[in-house]
Amino acid sequence: MKATSRRLAPSRGLWTLTAILGLAVAATAMAAGPDDSAKAKTKAKKDVAAVAKTSYIDEMLQDSWKSSKVKSSPLSADAEFLRRVYLDLCGRIPNVQEATAFLEMKDSGKRAKLVEYLLAHPDFAKNFGNEWSIILVGRKPAGRDVDKGALSSWLRKQITANRPWNEMAYELITAKGSNKDNGAVNYPMSHLEDGAVNLTSFTTRIFLGQQIQCTQCHDHPSNNWKQADFWSINAFFKGVKSERVMKTDAVGAEVYDHTELSDEPSNAYSKYEKRNAVVGIAFPTYLDGTKISQNADVDRREVLGKFITEKDQKQLARAFVNRVWGRLFGRGIVHTVDDFGDHNKPSHPELLEKMAEDFIASKFDVKNLYRTIMASQAYQLTSAMLKENEKDETLFSHQSLKPMTPEQLFDSLLTATSAHKAAGGNFDQIRNQWLGQFTVTFANDEEGENSNFQGTIPQALMMMNGDLMSKATGGKAGSFLHDTLDKSRAQRKPALFIVNRLYLAALGRYPNSKELNNASAFLEMNPDSIGVLEDLFWSLLNCNEFVLNH
Amino acid sequence: MLDRLITPSGMTRRHFMGHMATTAMALPAMQLLSAMNAQAQTGKKTNKSLILLWMGGGPSHMDTWDLKPESEKNGGEFKPIQTSAPGVMISEHLPMVAQQMKHLNIVRSLNSKEGNHDRGTYMMHTGYAPNPTVVHPSFGSVLSYELGDKLGKEFALPHAIAINGPGEGPGFLGMTHAPFMVQNPTAPIANLLPPAGVDDDRMNRRLRMLALAENSFGAQKRGQGAADHKAVYEKTVKMMSGPYTKAFKLDDEPAALRDKYGRNSFGQGCLMARRLVEAGVTYVEVSLGGWDMHADIFNALSKNKLPELDKGMGSLVEDLAQRGLLDNTMVVWMGEFGRTPRINQNGGRDHWPRSWSVVMGGGGMKGGQVVGKTDKDGVEVVDREVGVMDLVASMTKGMGINLSTEYTTPRGRPLKIVDGAQPISELF
Repeated sequence: MKATSRRLAPSRGLWTLTAILGLAVAATAMAAGPDDSAKAKTKAKKDVAAVAKTSYIDEMLQDSWKSSKVKSSPLSADAEFLRRVYLDLCGRIPNVQEATAFLEMKDSGKRAKLVEYLLAHPDFAKNFGNEWSIILVGRKPAGRDVDKGALSSWLRKQITANRPWNEMAYELITAKGSNKDNGAVNYPMSHLEDGAVNLTSFTTRIFLGQQIQCTQCHDHPSNNWKQADFWSINAFFKGVKSERVMKTDAVGAEVYDHTELSDEPSNAYSKYEKRNAVVGIAFPTYLDGTKISQNADVDRREVLGKFITEKDQKQLARAFVNRVWGRLFGRGIVHTVDDFGDHNKPSHPELLEKMAEDFIASKFDVKNLYRTIMASQAYQLTSAMLKENEKDETLFSHQSLKPMTPEQLFDSLLTATSAHKAAGGNFDQIRNQWLGQFTVTFANDEEGENSNFQGTIPQALMMMNGDLMSKATGGKAGSFLHDTLDKSRAQRKPALFIVNRLYLAALGRYPNSKELNNASAFLEMNPDSIGVLEDLFWSLLNCNEFVLNH
Repeated sequence: MLDRLITPSGMTRRHFMGHMATTAMALPAMQLLSAMNAQAQTGKKTNKSLILLWMGGGPSHMDTWDLKPESEKNGGEFKPIQTSAPGVMISEHLPMVAQQMKHLNIVRSLNSKEGNHDRGTYMMHTGYAPNPTVVHPSFGSVLSYELGDKLGKEFALPHAIAINGPGEGPGFLGMTHAPFMVQNPTAPIANLLPPAGVDDDRMNRRLRMLALAENSFGAQKRGQGAADHKAVYEKTVKMMSGPYTKAFKLDDEPAALRDKYGRNSFGQGCLMARRLVEAGVTYVEVSLGGWDMHADIFNALSKNKLPELDKGMGSLVEDLAQRGLLDNTMVVWMGEFGRTPRINQNGGRDHWPRSWSVVMGGGGMKGGQVVGKTDKDGVEVVDREVGVMDLVASMTKGMGINLSTEYTTPRGRPLKIVDGAQPISELF
């Protein structure tokens, strides 16, 4: 249909709706009102003046733009920034109250305040726990000895207390005891099979961004890793033992309680087969060649933990900074984020060095790292491109479109629709089942995972016709839509008030005048106003603006 | 056959497409493939297709296509048998495939260089090693882009379909060329129809509203992600509304034929591949995983993996040949790498990209050929080393695509689909 340029006064369509809903069409129809475009423009201008001054991040990026003759996009408007920050920090979009509170706030420092508020929000800690448990353990269902929930909640507690990253890393690498009481235990626990081969490659990859897994079988073709390096790290994990602990339940039966991880003092060496079939022996030796005792007199995981977090703290910092940068910009300075090396050079080496130094100087303060990046103009740029930077994918001259992760999509759908309140049933089960559609696990010795469901036809089918969506838009009691209609009826609110709420719920912004006109036209042309509102909500949840973190 | 696929019965529920011509998201789909229809009547497939049988985990070439019974240390437990191609011997555990070898060729001298699962998978699907500055399109996506789109806007199935696994992505060609994944070939496609209570008129209205929203965000120069989203939705709507989706319904096949292919996800996936190719789909990938056999390989192969492969692959090639589809359909068998000639201490074989085998046939190729040779222990290539790009070149030629085709990446760099390689001449 063609967009009309009808005025915004309540039209006949709204009267129809009013009749059905019993709503009052008050003179205050637009009280909750959207910006018309002129107002929105001046507002956007004010936003631009309001953000933080340039930081060294911006200066270093600007140098690279200058030398590549690229122009940067303007700063994002408030609504764009709002939605991005919620997704990046809390893993979900803002709800209606959160969105209006920020958009209505008249305060030049409100962006920094929002970041600060969210860094202290329980959803930030929850999201940090979820994101990192996926990095550490993966999306696939873990075995009986791995308590993913305990790991997420351990991570959540650490970040709530703002524990420094080097301390968290050390505790994850060296964790022992009950996997129920000490959630960190579940990290080593989940990669113990085959003589801790995966624990070896995960540990160097996750904490140092160094991929040595190829050298399990042979020397690396393009960097300096040798086959012996892999097995020398592996030797640090010799002696790690896990044991299932049983308990007696109420009726006197022996049932599983938890798994206990310990380090048995033993002589440590790893045996491996070389290409020429000769068996090699590797003693615990760090990547820089430092050897340690192979006897039973040391806790080798503790020594490895110290090597990684003290001796190698610069690389630990680079790897973490780069990973966070990658999350916030859709691309790491080293890309892919956990593959450092001569074969894969950073796009802005000085910037990465400076940020890593800063991170160390801050005592590995994770929240401060987020704060620093989010205060930069670069992070706050709009994702709308200019002719002068539409070819740029590596210089961060505009924000990127980040497809929502499956977890972000699910949690955002629920934030927008409250479909779970209409769904009934076991919430965790629904969540797991829903997320399960996204994960394909490869049965091979790298434990690879793929979630390239994003943006595909099956995902579109799910969003259009899936069960969750029909609960969200099917007018079921408990859902956001149902309750909004109910409340509006009771408070005798006008129909456009509801349209406003639908835009705020799905997109975190008010509709513009053209969108309001379109909505009025649909309402006017169709007698089933509730159906029209359901369909409008459906269309907003299915559109590109919803499913992309922009 | 195809008449049954496109029969208009059961269309009432889907006939919202009839109204769709007036909407921004819409594409008229009802006059459908008159071309396909004609094709069905003559029994001649006119468009080119490729079926990739993907052996995830790295299949052992030493126990399938390049046996070395004389090698004391590397030979393993299996014996070679004669095939329908004179002089070509393959594993005793592939008897059905052996009967079809006159249609197929073995390349025994591939050196693919990547011995890591992820990198090897990427390399074998794209022809290129992973590179941080560009995501290469997989060959299936290239085919979708080059050939699929030529079928016209009415064609309502995805041009690239991956069964039992995700396939590899479209890179910079965009999500409309991403393989459509069928997780389970024996289950109905999930969420194919609107929920109860949403009739044609409602669906049309939803799509009109959606088109308005998509266009308004898309007009803001937000890049490929936004444009892709719209294009994928258009394809999805087209697929929902078309009778084409009958191609996914294996129930229409005789039970005996379904048994012959094997009542497992690979066998049924192969059968679905035949139906899809018959309906005009350009690229179908069927995955059979679990080849990463570092231990106890001979049991795992002879008891499970090879019989499953044999039934599915053997029946597929036979079926395609009998239906006259093989001339226009190339079948390729490969994984991310081969496995070590040497048998390790756990009775398994490890990753080995240096000298291994792939199988390809149909699509205008000769059959019954063997290309290249490894030494008596299977370790070194002693004749005619073949690289991954040579395979890509051969597939490109077989599919009738210009070998000098070049794309411009989003960063403005030229990228050839065939880079510095020639088709394997012995196959044509």
